[in-house]
Amino acid sequence: MNGFISKIQRYSTKDGPGVRTTVFAVGCNLSCLWCANPELIDDGVKFLYHPRKCVKCGACVEKSGGTIRLTDVGCVIDRQNTNLDECSAVCYYDAYERVGETIAVKELVNTLLRDKVFYDQSGGGVTFSGGDAGLQSDFFREVALQLKSNDVHVALDTAGFFSWEKLSPLVEAVDLVLYDIKILDNVQHMHYTGVDNQLILENAIKIADMGKDMIVRMILIPGVNDSEDEIVGRLNFIKNLGSNVKLDLLRHHKLGAGKYAALGLDDPMEKTPECSNDIAEYVASLAKDMDIAVTIGG
Amino acid sequence: MAELLSFIPTNDICDFGRINIFQERMSARIPTICPERAELVTASFRHNVSDPIVVRRAKAFAETLDKMTVYIEPNSLIIGNQASANFAAPIFPEYSFDWVISELDEFEHRSGDYFKITEDTKSRLRQLESYWVGKTHKDEVFKNLSYDIKSAVSLSVLHFGGISMSGDGHIIPNHEFVLQVGFGNIANIAREKLQQDDLTQEQRDFYNATVIAMEGALRYCKRLGLCAAEDAAHENDARRKTELLELSAIFKNILEGKCKSFREAVQSVYLIHLLMMIESNGHSFSFGRFDQFVLPYYEKDLQEGIITKESALELIAHFFIMLNSLNKVRPWGHTQFSGGYPLYSALTIGGMLPDGTDGTNDLSYLCLEAMSLSKLPEPNLCVRFWEQTPHDFILNSARLIRKGFGMPSVFCDEVCVESLTTLDIELEEARNYASMGCVEIAIPGKWGHRATGMTYINFARVFELCLHNSHAFQQKQDISNVLAKLNSHDKINSEYNDYDELWQAWKLALSYFLELAVKCDSICDRSLKYHDADAFASSMIDCSLERGKTLKNGGAKYDFVSQSNIGMSVVGDSLAAVKKLVFEDEVLNLSELLEALKSNFDKHDGARIRRLCLNAPKFGNDDDFVDNIVADVFESYLELLPKYKNDRYGQGPIGCGYTMSTSNITSYVPNGFVVGATPDGRLAGKPLNEGASPCLGADREGPTAVINSVSKLPNSKIAGGQLLNMRFSPIALEGDDNLVRFANFIEAGRHKQIFHNQFNIIDSDTLRRAKENPHDYRDLMVRVAGYCALFSTLMPEAQDAIIARTEHDFS
Repeated sequence: MNGFISKIQRYSTKDGPGVRTTVFAVGCNLSCLWCANPELIDDGVKFLYHPRKCVKCGACVEKSGGTIRLTDVGCVIDRQNTNLDECSAVCYYDAYERVGETIAVKELVNTLLRDKVFYDQSGGGVTFSGGDAGLQSDFFREVALQLKSNDVHVALDTAGFFSWEKLSPLVEAVDLVLYDIKILDNVQHMHYTGVDNQLILENAIKIADMGKDMIVRMILIPGVNDSEDEIVGRLNFIKNLGSNVKLDLLRHHKLGAGKYAALGLDDPMEKTPECSNDIAEYVASLAKDMDIAVTIGG
Repeated sequence: MAELLSFIPTNDICDFGRINIFQERMSARIPTICPERAELVTASFRHNVSDPIVVRRAKAFAETLDKMTVYIEPNSLIIGNQASANFAAPIFPEYSFDWVISELDEFEHRSGDYFKITEDTKSRLRQLESYWVGKTHKDEVFKNLSYDIKSAVSLSVLHFGGISMSGDGHIIPNHEFVLQVGFGNIANIAREKLQQDDLTQEQRDFYNATVIAMEGALRYCKRLGLCAAEDAAHENDARRKTELLELSAIFKNILEGKCKSFREAVQSVYLIHLLMMIESNGHSFSFGRFDQFVLPYYEKDLQEGIITKESALELIAHFFIMLNSLNKVRPWGHTQFSGGYPLYSALTIGGMLPDGTDGTNDLSYLCLEAMSLSKLPEPNLCVRFWEQTPHDFILNSARLIRKGFGMPSVFCDEVCVESLTTLDIELEEARNYASMGCVEIAIPGKWGHRATGMTYINFARVFELCLHNSHAFQQKQDISNVLAKLNSHDKINSEYNDYDELWQAWKLALSYFLELAVKCDSICDRSLKYHDADAFASSMIDCSLERGKTLKNGGAKYDFVSQSNIGMSVVGDSLAAVKKLVFEDEVLNLSELLEALKSNFDKHDGARIRRLCLNAPKFGNDDDFVDNIVADVFESYLELLPKYKNDRYGQGPIGCGYTMSTSNITSYVPNGFVVGATPDGRLAGKPLNEGASPCLGADREGPTAVINSVSKLPNSKIAGGQLLNMRFSPIALEGDDNLVRFANFIEAGRHKQIFHNQFNIIDSDTLRRAKENPHDYRDLMVRVAGYCALFSTLMPEAQDAIIARTEHDFS
């Protein structure tokens, strides 16, 4: 069985306990406007173009037959009409970054097991992230089972927008679920992520009811989901999930902003500022008052 | 407030404010040249012409101590000076002097490691020049170099700057013994020996020299005591006055016999070190297991209420800061190989005891705290750890590492002890190892000079010669003739039909140059027998006093040496690129690759070829294909070693063979200057890799992949020290969780056969800013290669190499 991933990131520190290796799956069924990994939303191979590395040699321009133009700021690419597979191959300076590769279960498992000593020493393990690994649930379930048989702790980072039939076999196969609750207000949720949050909230309750270790990741985005109602509403929801559930607050950051340009896209949240420490600390204090175990993460 | 790691003072005995002021003063110290020792030694040598060399040197040592300037460093609890001013480098004309004279006007203008020098000093030194012509260690070495060695040096394959021009250093005195008996009783032992009537002339000379040297050392201590008393008389500050009076009392009979207190023990350790560095200008004089041999004095005084933890911390911090008042000047040609005024005085803490239990104690923790306060390049603080090391000790070490000045480096007992047992050293003895300099290890008090740092072999240059000249390395006996005719502009005619042919040529080339390097070692060693006949240092190493021999004549219990090998990862990555691109995938033919290398990838197809080279597998990414080739490169050297012996073989010490070391200080930078573009995609003149670390920027899979790659090397056979240097971004260590992760990461190295690891926690932007604005970053200290140096003192090329190290920054 094969999966489709973008990268395997070793010594990950923000995707669960201990030293972890994070596998990024390509493809997501949400399209959050603030997404920090926009190259992982759609399925399929993507090409990022990095002007910083471009020496303006014109090789890709020549290959493209006119759909790539050389300008002062580097190459301008008509992505609709350019075969980037061919054009990027003639670049000798790595100005094009190809994202997305097919990988077999066994190959992935073998790579992940290489850091087992570090997982064991630190109480770490492997995390499936993305994109959303839930879209490739059969593949990742198989990877999880093989890791489990080697005593590796496995975490799944998901937005949970799947039928329970599809999601539950994968959840059963992992030790920990990192679960995103992005916005409680459904109208807002539709607007910013493109999907209804009813299924997401239901699945959260089902996972918690299984008694599974769960860390709810609550992203804080200025002007989007940091109103008093939104915050208190989400905290209440999390509190009601039960005592197995911890909270990790994620501050909205702009680290993914450059990726939009590299993909030839407009950054839909260009004007939205990063979330300040003060807001995160404030939300953390509210959570503590409600006896929710809370950390401030990314 | 004080920058402590976890210690919470319960009283205000430790004056953190004073430590801070002292630290700032020391970090702003000005390097100068001091002519006193050169003048005093020259006068003594002129006067004592007929004495045997060991006696002549002892007299020169004692006369220097009698007449040199002594002074008390203001506000320091530890006293003793090496030269006439703080951070002034004394001159050692007996080892080499021509470069001192020819560089007199250059010292102030160096791009790294500059020295201020007055016109008066210059003229005083010039007056000594004529006496030393033809008489120095360097003269003797150069007289004996064969044509083949000279040609290997001019081909930039071999380098022997250190061992041909200065003393040897690289020893750890038996502190336990010296603190127990003092200089006084060492002299008495020598006197008793002199009563025996069956002594050889060598023994008689050695014992006479020992008495002279030890008595000289004691007189120096008394001079310091008088100086303290004099200062006390003029001191207005009541506390300082008391301190000076206490010092003068201690110095009335310090080191005459058994050491009486913790304070006296720490002061004595400083004096022993200082005096060795007046006797000789070797470096890497090291302290061994400081937290073990000082412990009895600490515990006794603590129990009797004479000291508290706080006062112990204060004393150790002063001791650490004062070690930075010492200095050494090297020729510019050699300075490039070891930038940042390094003395490599390693001080080891933690680790298992000879009986197999854990030795981590109060002093281990206090040394970490003291380093956190002193923040200066010396001592080179080394932490030993193993299965039973308290996690809290590693956590505190990680806290110190996180501060970002490169201390401490960490050594894994399981690997280091095993490496020593491959030299047939008994397990209990091996468990007592300590770092001696950078990453080399030795048994304290029992090991001869030079655990490492004999002749340097530039592996990348050997590989380059081999790759471009297949005809030269077909038969060993012809190599020297062929090399003599080498001309780098020759038409390319190098042909290898398969990888094995190339590999066999590499092995032949390496064995040819290793043999020359060993010959070179012996030439330097034989000369140092005479020129580094040092009774003072020798008599503090086991067996020397018993045998009546200096270390260079075979006085030590153990005597293994190693050379320094540079560029194994460049060679391995290059071999892997050739193997994959030329012989396996056949996407390049050898001649087009060689042509691209000769033109530094600058010809029309250069960019395409360089990209193929850069994308070939690279060491440091946990890729077995290339990792195994790098391991082969290590093995190709290791398998040649058993047949070589050093010059003391058969003279008494156990061993006298060779081991391997990748301790190569900053030499990976200048060694890169002379190597053209290489098949790993490296451009001509760029630095080689450092120690066993991946090539600069080649490791893309994160720190665990680096560890996994290095774990495939034969680390436990590299008893001369396996150097690994990693850089983390400060963000990767922020917060308690990340600190614990990092500590666990270090601890996991134990399961991965990691001999040693050291870390820089500084982001690239800070380093770039520091390079541009050295005055704003005067105190920025970085881990260079087995030692720490102030970043601003390094030459620009070495600064760039540190910036180019892969920064591990993960989210």
